[in-house]
Amino acid sequence: MSKIPCALGIVALGAVALAACGNKKTEISFTRFFGSCEAEYGKVTDVKQAHGECGIITAITNQFNATNPDHVVVKPQIVEWGPYYDQLSARIVSGDVPTVAVMHESALGDFVARNLVEPLDDALQSVGITPAEFTDQARRGTVIGGKLYALPFDTWSWLWHINLNMMKKAGLVNADGSPILPTTPEELIAQAEKFKAATGKPYFSWPTVNESAAPYRTFLTLVAQQGGVVFPPGGKTIDVRSDAARKALELIGRLYAEGHVKTGADYGAANQAFLTGEAGIVVVGTWTIDDFLTQSKQPGSPLANGYTVVPFPPVFGKKAVFADGHSWVLLKGGARDDKTRKAAVGLLRALWDNDFEWSRTGHLPARKSVIDSATYKQLPFRANIAEISSTAYSVPSDVSHQRAVEVAVGEEISSMYLTKKPLAEVQTAIEQRVGKLLAGAN
Amino acid sequence: MTATRHPMSGGLGGRLALLAVVLLAASWMLPVAWVFAASFKPNEVLMVRTDGLLSPPFTLRNYENLIGTSSLLRWLTNSAIVSLGQTAGVLVLSSLAGYGFARTSFPGKRWVFGFVLAGLAVPEQAILIPLHRLFAGLGLHNTYTALIFPRLAAPFGVYLMTQYFKAIPRELEEAALLDNASRLKIFLRIVLPMSLPAQATLGIFSFLTAWNDYLWPLVSATRPDMYTLTVGLASIQTNFAQAEGIGFLMAQAVFAGLPIFIVYLFFQKYIVAAVSGTTVG
Repeated sequence: MSKIPCALGIVALGAVALAACGNKKTEISFTRFFGSCEAEYGKVTDVKQAHGECGIITAITNQFNATNPDHVVVKPQIVEWGPYYDQLSARIVSGDVPTVAVMHESALGDFVARNLVEPLDDALQSVGITPAEFTDQARRGTVIGGKLYALPFDTWSWLWHINLNMMKKAGLVNADGSPILPTTPEELIAQAEKFKAATGKPYFSWPTVNESAAPYRTFLTLVAQQGGVVFPPGGKTIDVRSDAARKALELIGRLYAEGHVKTGADYGAANQAFLTGEAGIVVVGTWTIDDFLTQSKQPGSPLANGYTVVPFPPVFGKKAVFADGHSWVLLKGGARDDKTRKAAVGLLRALWDNDFEWSRTGHLPARKSVIDSATYKQLPFRANIAEISSTAYSVPSDVSHQRAVEVAVGEEISSMYLTKKPLAEVQTAIEQRVGKLLAGAN
Repeated sequence: MTATRHPMSGGLGGRLALLAVVLLAASWMLPVAWVFAASFKPNEVLMVRTDGLLSPPFTLRNYENLIGTSSLLRWLTNSAIVSLGQTAGVLVLSSLAGYGFARTSFPGKRWVFGFVLAGLAVPEQAILIPLHRLFAGLGLHNTYTALIFPRLAAPFGVYLMTQYFKAIPRELEEAALLDNASRLKIFLRIVLPMSLPAQATLGIFSFLTAWNDYLWPLVSATRPDMYTLTVGLASIQTNFAQAEGIGFLMAQAVFAGLPIFIVYLFFQKYIVAAVSGTTVG
């Protein structure tokens, strides 16, 4: 065999090997909820064509995989929403740590306290993102102890979705077509009575069965609107005996006791009651805006041309409403090496760049330039709710076990109106249950 | 041999009993029929109303979205491997242990049996964290071993087989012992074939438990390629599927129940016999 062809062969093989090395893909795992919609959006790379949380996040991922110049491949690992944090903790224990993970801002404090999340100040700055670009609410949710621990993606909040057709029937609509909203608890009760007299239906629908989140969020909103404090500084106690807390609980109890809330409805049924004209207002989050808007465009729908949405009105005077947010974190041990870490930060940048597209889900943007933009405000009802990015109230990050706290408080408030548990017993039960959770905190 | 009495031959009482059974069966079938019908309705329609399921519009989109999930076959395979593996393991171990408790004597047998039965009183959640840490320490999460092994310790299976073996006449084994048959041979050739109804009962319950298992696979199989069907299907639900994706949820329920239904179609005479405690002729 001649030496020349042999040498050429070796050179060619080397070139192929080098090319292969050069094209070596960097894989990052991307753990999230929001569901999977592969059949519908599995191949969509134009984010503008996608709709809904699942569609938009899938399209953002596809777009990043298709366009990033560094051969980074994002592998989504999708988990059911309910047990998401249990599974995430289990993964960390077993050493199977995802590279990038979604995290509620209300859960971030626990993970930071356990030293499981990487600070992101330098990493995000390296791709041109600084907290100065965040909305006030987004910054409050992701900066802990002066360090930035997550990239905020949105703010979601507690809204009144209103059937204007029913409100009109009750004479609760202004000349310009906007709803007349209560500014005091007395006005709220009076409006609810007027509404019931005119329509025969309850003013409100909110989930009262198999539900703890709704009463908890409403309670926190009503206390915040009085300037009250449920979680004193330090995060080790809960105060439900203040005047503000008592008034909030009494108002919730009174609305239910006097028949102004649809009874026997879980989350789905509460929304259904609103859509079928069985109640005038459903108190639920930002994520239902698109669905309700779609329904209001259906001829024959009780909502037809008569839907609007506003932040929870300041019935105790001060503008304030419960809020939380989705954010993205890099967990410690999730990136195997610098290259993977760089790839993960690149993905964060892509998510940030799509903050407007994500806001089409109904959630408020985390990016100041987006929420202030005309494009955002042109989306349906967004001008109504944009103020939430500065009026929102979130549970402080030093309050641990916020999910469990929500369940404990929500269950006790539910028992107040479902089983007529006396207010004093409700307050004691909340103190005991939440006290145990907070006392056992890190 | 006893002749089977036709239910209608029992006079008015028999007919009333039959009617009651039919009504009970129908009331059991109603939710199943509702699930099936809802799986063919558009989610947007179900978001507003969940009655009127027999009137249009209908859609196959829920099934298209489900089948369009690329990992579905993988999850189905994982569930089949885990369920069959667990069932086989439980049958072998419970039969051996049950025979040991029923027919052999050894010091402390009553205590050991009591210890096994005490396992019935320990809820799964109570041992979840130590179990998870154990398998994490062994580096076995995201493997079939981790999905199958923890479920092989089945106190109910041991109890069931012990009681069943006790009911088999000793004389049959004594005759074989006189012919110099070993314990193992007696177990395999005489006792085991006679325990088929109990084996079938235990097998069915083990398979169903494994197929429907959610909590342990959720925390052990955390990589999507190792998800079982229950975890995989739950993962693809949107966050508020109970309101905005009811049709998709129902399609998932139908799909997840289909393999069990097919198993029932093929093995129904064994299953009925197992549940009624008789043998298949």
